[in-house]
Amino acid sequence: MTIYNREAFLDHLSERLGTPRHQVDKEPFIHRNQLPEETLADLSSDELLDLAKSTSEALHVTFQVTDQTALPAVLDEYLKRIGAGQLILPTEPDQVADYNLQGWIDTVAKERTVKYWDPKADRDTNLTTSQDSMVAIGFGDYLLAESGTITVPTTPGQGRAFNFLPTHYLSIVKRSHILPRSTQVTKIYDDKIKSGELVTSNINYISGPSNSGDIEMVLIVGVHGPLDMTYVVVNDR
Amino acid sequence: MGIQTSDKPLLERVKESEQDKFMQASVAKSQDAQHIKREDSRALLGNWEQWRELGEQIRQRALKYLPDYLEQFSDNVEKNGGDVFFAATEEEAVDYIQKVVKETGAKRIVKSKSMVTTEIDLDKRLLAMNQGLQLMETDLAEFILQEDDWAEPTHIVFPALSKNRDQVREIFMKLGYEGDNDPMHLARFARKYLREYFLKSDLGITGCNFAVADNGMINLVTNEGNADLTMAIPKTQIVVMGMERIVPTMNDAEILDNMLCRSAVGQKLTSYVTFEKGQVAGETDGPEHFHVVIVDNNRSRALGSEFQSILQCIRCGACMNVCPVYRHIGGHGYGSIYPGPLGAVLSPILGGYQAFQELPYASSLCGACTEVCPVKIPLHKLLIEHRRIITDQRHMQHGLNNLMMEAIGIGTGFPWLFRTAVRFGHLGLKPLASKGEVHAENFIKPEGSVKGGPGLVGGWADVRDLPLPPKNKDSFRQWFAKHKENQPKPGDQKANQ
Ligand code: SF4
Repeated sequence: MTIYNREAFLDHLSERLGTPRHQVDKEPFIHRNQLPEETLADLSSDELLDLAKSTSEALHVTFQVTDQTALPAVLDEYLKRIGAGQLILPTEPDQVADYNLQGWIDTVAKERTVKYWDPKADRDTNLTTSQDSMVAIGFGDYLLAESGTITVPTTPGQGRAFNFLPTHYLSIVKRSHILPRSTQVTKIYDDKIKSGELVTSNINYISGPSNSGDIEMVLIVGVHGPLDMTYVVVNDR
Repeated sequence: MGIQTSDKPLLERVKESEQDKFMQASVAKSQDAQHIKREDSRALLGNWEQWRELGEQIRQRALKYLPDYLEQFSDNVEKNGGDVFFAATEEEAVDYIQKVVKETGAKRIVKSKSMVTTEIDLDKRLLAMNQGLQLMETDLAEFILQEDDWAEPTHIVFPALSKNRDQVREIFMKLGYEGDNDPMHLARFARKYLREYFLKSDLGITGCNFAVADNGMINLVTNEGNADLTMAIPKTQIVVMGMERIVPTMNDAEILDNMLCRSAVGQKLTSYVTFEKGQVAGETDGPEHFHVVIVDNNRSRALGSEFQSILQCIRCGACMNVCPVYRHIGGHGYGSIYPGPLGAVLSPILGGYQAFQELPYASSLCGACTEVCPVKIPLHKLLIEHRRIITDQRHMQHGLNNLMMEAIGIGTGFPWLFRTAVRFGHLGLKPLASKGEVHAENFIKPEGSVKGGPGLVGGWADVRDLPLPPKNKDSFRQWFAKHKENQPKPGDQKANQ
């Protein structure tokens, strides 16, 4: 935890700029306009859902909406579509209880290998488990309507690589957590980080499967991250 | 590689580029495709001009208080448990990174795309440490270029634009690929090949789109997922950032991400937008050791000068996607890792006029770059500034006649550029919006040219007639006058190693 060469470096910049250091607090920074906050801010809950669906589908995401009672059936159907292979789940007991999924997990575990991102395991174990998993089912924090984005802060129970190493990926998110744009969710995270409510090293905004246009500009879906993505929005009111 | 990719004269490079018909066709195709996607995504967002004003305001604010924001950022990285190294030169940056590599005993390095690491020639310098080190570029395009014996990038967003699928297949066959030339099959091969490498990697090197001053996090905007694996798997991460990448807050970064994604690839957001720092208690992956290297490497020459606004750049590549000269000569023609209008302005600042004095002339000054830039950098005006400085220096050294002969020499070497410039200079400049069909070629056809460009006569041959900049903005000129004698060529350092 060291900072090297700072003073000479910053003094040089200050000299080039022709202004002394430590002036920033004297001039409050007020954005010239509020477009980031205002854009799409007036959409109703139904409009947000419709927009989230259409933008997600344009990104090759399979988008489903379900009531909580039908969630297990939706997940069963999804796993059938994916086929055989190990499933990895996060260790997030509160979320599992929230979506009432423990019974479903117990049943699935009888039919296929179910593993967890384990906060007590070491790095290599969690990475190997994720790499060996055909499919991950994780919890999304928010869904952004404008861009078809799910957001996922890293937690001890759902690590970074959980979102990237498995071949297929499904994210469950609450309908009440659909927000218009990245501006709203970034403000939430910024506030929570500053207040100490959110302690994380990493926040992923994920918009559909990984892709590339690096070879002759031909769109390739599925490069280093999951080959496909499914979002399941659960009605929670 | 370093900033200079070739020491051949501009004219020779252009002639070589002109022979590469595949490259010219791919650049044209890419410009057209990006034009449609970019303009559609901006139109869908609405109020684009006001967004640009906001983007410009954020970038100008960051530069105005650059020392303060860098201080705040580095304090926060330290508070978060990371190390920060301020590198005035590329040697200092490379020395520090080499030291970290040695101390951690790293053997397998993974890298995600980073222009600044190419600028400081990091890959080759790390491999030259010769301690059984392996290093892999993991962005698909960068991987292709690395495996093609470190071929030159041709675009800042699509570095392998000049390679066709057959060439990629040939490159991959050396690695054991046995399939056809289908881009999907080629990409799947790269996925498998690189995944195995990733899982054994012990040190990751990333760039940084934006660094957030008030919480010490870095922000990365990508599509393939390799950057996130680079940040997840190895125990050590080194972030290398140009010093101007700083923004005040997460929301400022997020606003610019929205503008960057639309401007670079016409997406609302790319597949992955990530804010990250070193691992916190309870987490099992992510970097346990987190280093940030903040690089000046001559960027400070632009600070306080008439060129300060070039540091607003968010590396979206839109200016090269609309440039008629880039369309004709592609990235290699510029001889710099930063091509297009951005490169024509930035390269002489970072690498000096001795190496890049011709670049400001590789422009028709049509103004399309300025119009398209999401953070309102007056690119064509900055090119005129460079020309003026070069003209003044030459005038003092050799007299006006030599200068004019040289300008004419450049012009007769680029008949197509003269034709383009003449069209811009002499014909009516209608706003782009007045054209029905959306096509990058519109920027070249006179009837579709953008408004506001000064044209050939205003900017090329008669550069000396343009109004002088305000006196207080003359510091780059002063700097140049002071330093031109002992300014090293960018290639010199490599030669000295
Ligand atoms: S100069 Fe402007 S248009 Fe060009 S890459 Fe930078 S931000 Fe984009």
